Amino acid sequence: MKHRNQTGIGFTIGKGVLLTILSIICVLPFIVIISGSFTSNQEILRNGFSVLPRDVTAEAYKTIFKTPEDIFQAYKMNVYYTAIGTALGLMIITLTAYVISRREFKYRNTVSFLIYFTTIFGGGMIPWYLMYANVLNLRGTTLAIWFPALMTPFLVILMRTFIIGAVPDAVVESAKIDGAGHWRIFWQIVLPVLGPGLATVGLFQALGYWNDWYRSSMFSTSSQTWSLQFYLYDLVNSTQAMRQMAQYANVNTADLPTQSVKLAMSVVATGPILILYPFVQRYFVSGITVGAVKG
Amino acid sequence: MSVTAIPRGSILGRRSVTRHRNIYIAAAASAVLLLMMIPVIPWIQLTGTDALFEAMKLKASAIKKLGNSYSVFTFLSFVQDSKQGVLGLWSFILLPVGAAAAAFHLWGLILFLARNRLAEKKGLLAMYSRFQCGMVFSFLLAAGTIGLVIFANSHYGLNGFAAGIPAYATLAVSAAGYLASKRMEKQERIICREHGFVEEFRRNWILFLFLVPCFLFFLINNYLPMAGVYFAFTQFNFKDSLFASPFVGFKNFEFLLHSEILHLTTNTILYNVVFIVLGNVLQIFFAILISQVMNKHLKKTAQTMIFMPYFVSFVILRVLVFNVFEYDVGLFNNFLTGLGRPKVDFYNTPGYWPWIITFFYLWKNIGYGMVVYLATITGISSEYYEAAQIDGASIYQQIRYITVPLLKPTFIILLLYALGGIMKGQFELFYQLVGNNGTLFSTTDIFDTYVYRITTTQPLSMGLGTAAGLFQSLFGFVVILLTNFLIRRKNPEYALF
Repeated sequence: MKHRNQTGIGFTIGKGVLLTILSIICVLPFIVIISGSFTSNQEILRNGFSVLPRDVTAEAYKTIFKTPEDIFQAYKMNVYYTAIGTALGLMIITLTAYVISRREFKYRNTVSFLIYFTTIFGGGMIPWYLMYANVLNLRGTTLAIWFPALMTPFLVILMRTFIIGAVPDAVVESAKIDGAGHWRIFWQIVLPVLGPGLATVGLFQALGYWNDWYRSSMFSTSSQTWSLQFYLYDLVNSTQAMRQMAQYANVNTADLPTQSVKLAMSVVATGPILILYPFVQRYFVSGITVGAVKG
Repeated sequence: MSVTAIPRGSILGRRSVTRHRNIYIAAAASAVLLLMMIPVIPWIQLTGTDALFEAMKLKASAIKKLGNSYSVFTFLSFVQDSKQGVLGLWSFILLPVGAAAAAFHLWGLILFLARNRLAEKKGLLAMYSRFQCGMVFSFLLAAGTIGLVIFANSHYGLNGFAAGIPAYATLAVSAAGYLASKRMEKQERIICREHGFVEEFRRNWILFLFLVPCFLFFLINNYLPMAGVYFAFTQFNFKDSLFASPFVGFKNFEFLLHSEILHLTTNTILYNVVFIVLGNVLQIFFAILISQVMNKHLKKTAQTMIFMPYFVSFVILRVLVFNVFEYDVGLFNNFLTGLGRPKVDFYNTPGYWPWIITFFYLWKNIGYGMVVYLATITGISSEYYEAAQIDGASIYQQIRYITVPLLKPTFIILLLYALGGIMKGQFELFYQLVGNNGTLFSTTDIFDTYVYRITTTQPLSMGLGTAAGLFQSLFGFVVILLTNFLIRRKNPEYALF
């Protein structure tokens, strides 16, 4: 690709400008949120949000951590859901993927189809909800929040592709000739070389758990089990609702819970992702690339 | 079992005589079972009707509608006319069981009729396995019917129902047919040197063990809830307990048809079409641009920045959108005030939202698709470009005649996947941006948000919500099957399954 140097100056400038614009559009909102979180609330109410912080203060963060019990609880729950969901999910995804990657397994295609079928037909949200809430009676438990996302067909297929790529059939065959069973082949041959696959699938899984608010909204009965995102959602929503009420009732909006606190909460909730993002990005890229290739 | 290694040639020998007779036995059993499922044949009979109707507290006008006997497939009309929701779910589940039985019998019979044209090797095994599946489902159907009768009788505390002779006959024929065809299959397996389930389990039991968690998960999370589509045919309420709400047939669907379904369908599909078209065009465009950046460091930075929104939760997106479009302090209105223009009340004007939603969809997803296309571009051999340069092709010509055509397969695959999901809305996106703001529903309500709203705020409309969900699911399913069928005919390589 290095050989393409016949590009015109117009093209070079054009692509530079367009990519810069897109990059800025993609990152700008983050900057607005971060700088807003460091702006004093009065300033926001007087002059609105802006790109660069004015009247810099860490007031909002102090407010949040003045009574940290709630947010610590939400954080704790989020870490718990992410850890248990990712660990368990990764294990059963890998086991399943190993089975459907084995050519000698007679029901390989049946199993793959039964997994794939769930993506093209389903009972819908309400039967799914009733299954957990009324049939299994899991409303209010933490199980209902992490269990439903343990596996997705996409991740199973992705993992299978990784296994096929990392472990050639010949290796498994020769291990079998040497007398190794599937148990040993899985733990001692497949798992040790599956690092990138595990990292990629695990990160997809962890991202899904970290960003989840939906299952908390459906199955929680008290704020004790809320995930971090749902805690944030509740916070944002109540200020939004109060603002609307205030508008109708002609109350001064300055007396309401603060804008900057909301933004500071957003920063706190996203923090770990933005810090880890540069380091783990390549795993996502490799996952997307592998997953996009049909196979 | 002493005959383990019979040479293939013996298919034409003495064995083939019994083999032929066995095939006819299996086919005959299947045909009988199929005939027995014709809806006019009475599987369930009403006996002692007076006491029964009294127990059901039926009025004379309702009794007039009822018959004396029902088939499994018409029993739901009894459930509806007599308003006995308790029996609904059970009789509803018998429908797919019956349908599956019929389908497998038919399939087996078709293979039976075409048996001479099938390859001698595995064709007959396939036929036997269809027959066996048919037998199993027939058996389940018959057992289920008898179970339903017992359940109903014990529920009302009297002998109001009786399973008809066809039910018992089906039970017997299917059991016998199964055992017979199993024996034949065993012979067939020896001839074809194919092992069955038991042998596979003996060899690979550990693989089955590996599958247990996966099996449990999809059973609980996906397959068992499928039975819940039954609620789409009920007037759901908690008073009658979960499984005894009145069965109302297609009433929920009729109601939807007259109210929501049209605009939900158009909204869902239109948004998705726009997402697919604009999304792919922009992803390809920027993938090509970024592939042209020679400086590795710049390339990496740009990709990192563009990919970043993908990692943000939708709740954060909600905060963000609210900050931008809020009336009092929002960034946008702030900007307008700065220019000396009047403010815009976004949260009360539905017309703006398709644009806003589309914009943020693209914002979040350009990076993802860009990575996919970029991977394809990186995979293109540089020799093509070198040759083109020697021929004096400009950069635009290289993109137009090399890159774009070579991106086509990736584009088609992504397009097909997207088409399969054309009825699936971006629930989190829509819900977090719009929420329960009713003024905006006319342009922003899609199936997923509608159903979610019903689930969380109007439990009494759950029947309606399930109906909407079922419609969405079925519509999407049909779209996928159609797409797949058309592609398979045109270009099997791209087929989804």
